Amino acid sequence: MSSTWVIAQKELLDLRRDRLFAVLIAFLAVATLISVGVAAASFRTQLDAYNLYVQQLAASGSTTVPAAPQLFPLQLLRGGVEYLEILGALFAIVLGYGTVAKEKYRGTLQLLLSRPVGRFAIPAGKVLGLSVVWFVVVALLTVTTTVAILVIGNATLQGIDIARILIAAVVAWLYLLFWSVLAIGITALSHRLSTGLIVAIVVWLVFVLIIPQIGDTMDPDNQVPGGLFAALQIQKPDELKVLANFAVFDGIRNGLEVSSITKHFERLSFAFLGIKDKYNQQPLGLVWADMWGYAITLAAATVASVTFAVGFTTRRNLQRKIS
Amino acid sequence: MNTFLVSAGHEMLNTRRARTAHLLLFVFIGMIIASSIIGWVTNRTVTGVYEKVVADGLTTAPNPFAGVTPLYYLRNAVIYVVLIGSLMAIVLGVQATLRDRKAATTDLVLSRPVGSVSRLLGQLAGLGVVLAAAIGISFFVSWVIISVINGAPLGSADTGRVIIFALLSWVLLTTFALLGMLTGLRSKQETTALLVPFVIWSAVAFVLPQIGTAARPVSLLNPVPAVSSTGGYFDIVSMVTGPVSVTEQFKSASSIILQDTAVTGNAAFSILILVGVLAVMTVIVVATPRSRMRSGLNE
Repeated sequence: MSSTWVIAQKELLDLRRDRLFAVLIAFLAVATLISVGVAAASFRTQLDAYNLYVQQLAASGSTTVPAAPQLFPLQLLRGGVEYLEILGALFAIVLGYGTVAKEKYRGTLQLLLSRPVGRFAIPAGKVLGLSVVWFVVVALLTVTTTVAILVIGNATLQGIDIARILIAAVVAWLYLLFWSVLAIGITALSHRLSTGLIVAIVVWLVFVLIIPQIGDTMDPDNQVPGGLFAALQIQKPDELKVLANFAVFDGIRNGLEVSSITKHFERLSFAFLGIKDKYNQQPLGLVWADMWGYAITLAAATVASVTFAVGFTTRRNLQRKIS
Repeated sequence: MNTFLVSAGHEMLNTRRARTAHLLLFVFIGMIIASSIIGWVTNRTVTGVYEKVVADGLTTAPNPFAGVTPLYYLRNAVIYVVLIGSLMAIVLGVQATLRDRKAATTDLVLSRPVGSVSRLLGQLAGLGVVLAAAIGISFFVSWVIISVINGAPLGSADTGRVIIFALLSWVLLTTFALLGMLTGLRSKQETTALLVPFVIWSAVAFVLPQIGTAARPVSLLNPVPAVSSTGGYFDIVSMVTGPVSVTEQFKSASSIILQDTAVTGNAAFSILILVGVLAVMTVIVVATPRSRMRSGLNE
């Protein structure tokens, strides 16, 4: 058995026994389930309001029947995707940091390095272990949320919906792996362990929260509750025509957003799940034609992150670490 | 010099020397300052969009930004206090208490005639001064920038509002610093000490408001409030989760103080909740027994 696989197996065993990891994943699962439940409750509230409105119309003698609100089951996953975006990335960082920190804290680092392990065996083993862990976690979350859509959302799913959910799961796996592996690299580079965690959290803060927040708040449509253009009763084609006059501003705003890996994850997931109206109920080929660029950058970022972690988690960097 | 003042002075000295704390402090101060510029650029563009819409004859609705106050430019700062400030305060709080436990200096300090309450209150006061300095610097520079944008210094009424907003920010950040101190005192491992308050923060900032309003987690990062779901389930749940969502209470009170037209209501209730939570957290931290303060880490 290669030393890389032995280290990967050790990581899997460690994480299976880690109560903190179990608590984090349980928290993420509960938050995701809550988001499905809340979205379903919100839809039911809309439906009740619609039914009341129709009753009142009928009582007033009107024969007009307005269009009923329609449930698109995968749109119930919007909150869950956003929780993965924010909390999932944070927990991924903690997990990545923990794989390096524990060796120092437990005193197993010297023991590990005393064995005839290859130059890349330790980081590659840890990356491999984490990729398996995140695969299992994403699979469990996917099954849980799919069941939640059926049971809590009281919706039905077609075969194509399952395919969309599976694509979103692969995207989520890449995104979570990116953050865990980045945290390994940062922790390996930091002289102090706590500095590694704090620096990784600052990176998370900047790319997951601050940059998307700036992009969102610079969006002219986000300046009024419910949307500026809705408040001004502007139709979508007119909105696009008006915004074309502000291309430089919009270019800067969009440029900021796409500099964050989180926005790539969000746009891919929202497109394939049909959460973004433009792609709702559209064929997968059409979505892919628009989204392949995001898929490639997310995959490239994950590969770059793995290269960074494997390159900097050296024997020398690990041994100079202090707690 | 008494224990309280020595502890406060020691805490300030440690923070001045901690390079990781500086990283967060710089990010916080930088973003609060940048928020005014972001607000100004966005406001100019949105005004341009509105003028273009009117010129094209697409609407007769009034300009939603007509008559906004100069403090409008500060509204992004509300989010940065919640996002960056809270995390910075947590890290400072954790480091304050964990530092002594890691180096086992608590044993030495408590072997002297030192009261644990004075010691913890002194550390809290030191952190409070550091937070006040960060808030003071960033809000003063923001005040200058907004004055430059408006072509005249902000009037006394607006300046007063900025000061009240700064005080409220201090209350929120000190509460999170106390949360960090608490986990720093109670946790058996450094990772847990840092992680638990982050999880609590994320639950308070993202999960609780969503349960009661169906607002999307990401939309909670926008200073403009999302349209809340109401009726039945949501009315009952938001009644329960509303007061516990301290970050939402902070956003609501700050927006009212800064005269954001998108938020209505009375800030008094939210301020009362924030001050109440600060008081409760202070009592909980100060009541930490000496044996707990002296306990080592189980790494």
